[in-house]
Amino acid sequence: MEKQALAGVKVVDFGWALVGSLTGKHLGDHGAQVVRVESTTRPDLTRMDRTVSTTKSLDDNPMFTHFNTSKYSMALNLKHPRAPEVVDRLIRWGDVVNANFTPGTLSKMGFGYEHIRGIKPDIIMAEGSAYGQTGPMAQEWGVDGTGAALSGYLHLTGWPDRGPVAPNLPYSDVLLPLFIATAIIAALDYKRRTGKGQYIDASMIEVCSHQITPSLLDWEANRHLQNRNGNRIAYAAPHGIFPCQGDDRWCAIAVFTDGEWEAFCHAIGNPAWTKEPRFATLNSRKENEDTLEEQVSEWTKQHSAQEVMQIMQAAGVPAGVVQTVQDLLENDPQLKERKLLLPLKHPVMGVFSHPTPPFKLLKTKAQVRTSPCMGEHTEYVCTEFLGMSHEEFAELSRQGVFK
Amino acid sequence: MADSLLSGFRALDLTNEKGFVCGKILAALGVEVIKVEKPGGDPARGIPPFLHNIPDPEKSLYWYAFNTDKQSITLNLQVNQGQDLFRKLVEKVDFVLESFVPGYMNSLGLGYEALREVNPRIIMTSITPFGQKGPYAQYKGSELIASAMGGVLLTTGDPDRPPVREGPDSVYFRTGAAAALGTVIAHYHREITGEGQQVDVSLQGVVASRTFTNLVMWEFTKHLIKRSGSVRKIGPRATRWIWQCKDGYVFWAFMPGRFGAPANRALSKWIDEDGLENPLNNIPDWDELDISLISRDEIATYEEAMARFFMNHTKKEIVEEGLKRGINAASIDSPADVLENRQLEARGYWVDLEHPESNSTFMYPKQFFLCDHTHNFVNHRAPLIGEHNQDIYAKELGLSSTEIATLKKTGVI
Repeated sequence: MEKQALAGVKVVDFGWALVGSLTGKHLGDHGAQVVRVESTTRPDLTRMDRTVSTTKSLDDNPMFTHFNTSKYSMALNLKHPRAPEVVDRLIRWGDVVNANFTPGTLSKMGFGYEHIRGIKPDIIMAEGSAYGQTGPMAQEWGVDGTGAALSGYLHLTGWPDRGPVAPNLPYSDVLLPLFIATAIIAALDYKRRTGKGQYIDASMIEVCSHQITPSLLDWEANRHLQNRNGNRIAYAAPHGIFPCQGDDRWCAIAVFTDGEWEAFCHAIGNPAWTKEPRFATLNSRKENEDTLEEQVSEWTKQHSAQEVMQIMQAAGVPAGVVQTVQDLLENDPQLKERKLLLPLKHPVMGVFSHPTPPFKLLKTKAQVRTSPCMGEHTEYVCTEFLGMSHEEFAELSRQGVFK
Repeated sequence: MADSLLSGFRALDLTNEKGFVCGKILAALGVEVIKVEKPGGDPARGIPPFLHNIPDPEKSLYWYAFNTDKQSITLNLQVNQGQDLFRKLVEKVDFVLESFVPGYMNSLGLGYEALREVNPRIIMTSITPFGQKGPYAQYKGSELIASAMGGVLLTTGDPDRPPVREGPDSVYFRTGAAAALGTVIAHYHREITGEGQQVDVSLQGVVASRTFTNLVMWEFTKHLIKRSGSVRKIGPRATRWIWQCKDGYVFWAFMPGRFGAPANRALSKWIDEDGLENPLNNIPDWDELDISLISRDEIATYEEAMARFFMNHTKKEIVEEGLKRGINAASIDSPADVLENRQLEARGYWVDLEHPESNSTFMYPKQFFLCDHTHNFVNHRAPLIGEHNQDIYAKELGLSSTEIATLKKTGVI
């Protein structure tokens, strides 16, 4: 196997649902040994999701797979009386502990940071949560939408004359893991240099609120309260989604500079309306944006979304088809080139696409493996990673620890 | 001052708005980030809003927001002398961050292979709309284009209107975070092995890597998930996410099974206490509730009752009383509300950054996360154009004042 960037990094992964699972995935996809600690007594939400799966199996859910590639699965009932000794051995083995339970949960079970640090003083432990580990809201639970609501993101998504809307895909849940994984790796490097471990407390609303810093400053400096604004932005026109041939097909066009505006006009054949003074400058186009968008739509409607993109891009105007996931999988040569959605075989579900990391390390490439079945590696982890004898493993197993 | 996770490392940051956030994160982690701008300043300094609404390259609040803690030098990379100076700087740094069109750095003799000659340990992180190679590599892109091409845009918006973009600038922000992660992974490997490399980040790839659930629905059931307004669709089931109250909106998700049961039960009880009609009482066992098995009509009946209930209260009532009851709704906050969030305040989330040139001070978000042994904070306002020319060119490269004056006169810096 080719070398991977995080080879040799050992992660004890108590992560679950999206935030914790994805944090572990980011590390595993680049070569860290990630042991996902889970239990049939309280399976991950995404192992039980019945959206696609019609059985009660814990191993036939592709949602779980998307969030848990490149991991080992160890089944361990944390509430079993003999679980603590196994957890302690895991911690001695690990460099990193990753978790995202509601703050306080791990401590209540006896596996909080104080305990873990007692066993391994230079451990790196990261906990992700909605609100953070301290403050008046620390003990409260939250989900993807909590971060989206409290960070200003939802307020700014939608049309000015209507209420906020949300994408049918996670937002905060996919943002937070990128930051936690970054912190973990930076902390590993810090430990390499200083010998010191680290506790990392990452809050969804804190990460997400950074995103709207320009809107925060606009309020502070100018007392201008930004609101939903459809697809329009102040420094480009036309800038929007335009209807094309076909059912619910659209193309995005974004004209920022004067040069792009000239190229746009030329690309659509310089019709008379483009010569009108009210469309001559960015400012005048912004003032007449309704009419401008109607005119652009008249032209885009005569073409397929693919044609609009190609005509625009050939002329040097930023444009892109509003793609469906079917397009991503079947009609996008760029994503194919990047192997972004990689078909891999899962032992139960067969071949389907696995999202690969959102960046490419060109020398130490990510090697994505499909997700493990529940407890698939329990014995392997115990004997190979933790150094248990087979007799010891069999005894603990008989007592029901590994469920 | 306590040190930071990546204190002692340095980066040259040549990015525009597509890559600002990567350098901002590294800077908060202690990397000394030097922004390399063309003489006259980065064109992205033209992005509004502006301080006091006065368009000026030194007054872009957008630029302020995402270039905190960076230093700035000016350098014309299109002339030989500028390229030579850049190579000298590359010898002294650990990272180069850039967002030019693929091939542009190479055409200047500053591509990854050329920089590796100068500094074999260098990590070059390249952020582009579609990636370094492939049929769309030369296509132009932006926040909106990437969201469209990555498959997220189609899933956002009201069904009776065109798809609508997410809150600004979601793609750029997540791309910056992904780029920072890729950069530190490459860094970790470099520190152990001595081997540098290029990190190739595409805006489209960042967006598409997030299409999890919708990919699953298409591949397993041939069902395409599109936009559904304030209702969140996970697979075929759809539940309302956003509820109108007397004075605004709140987020609250009707979640199934054991996970959602405590909040669902508490909400139902509160509806009863309000004396409102309550069909939720027909649900026999909240722990066993599987939303994917109940009909859309039945969900609609429940949601109508919930909608009446939310409209019966203010945001504040729903949030504060709801917390006591374990309902955990969250108010959909405006930027002004975010600045007043008491949890953020309690965690020391805000830092006042001074802008002495305009006699102003603004609150900025201070941390991406908290660590017990290191400080990883936003500390300083974004730089003025070429603010650190003297420091870098004189102290770092050892140029004399006359040499610097000549470089200025000839437009190199």
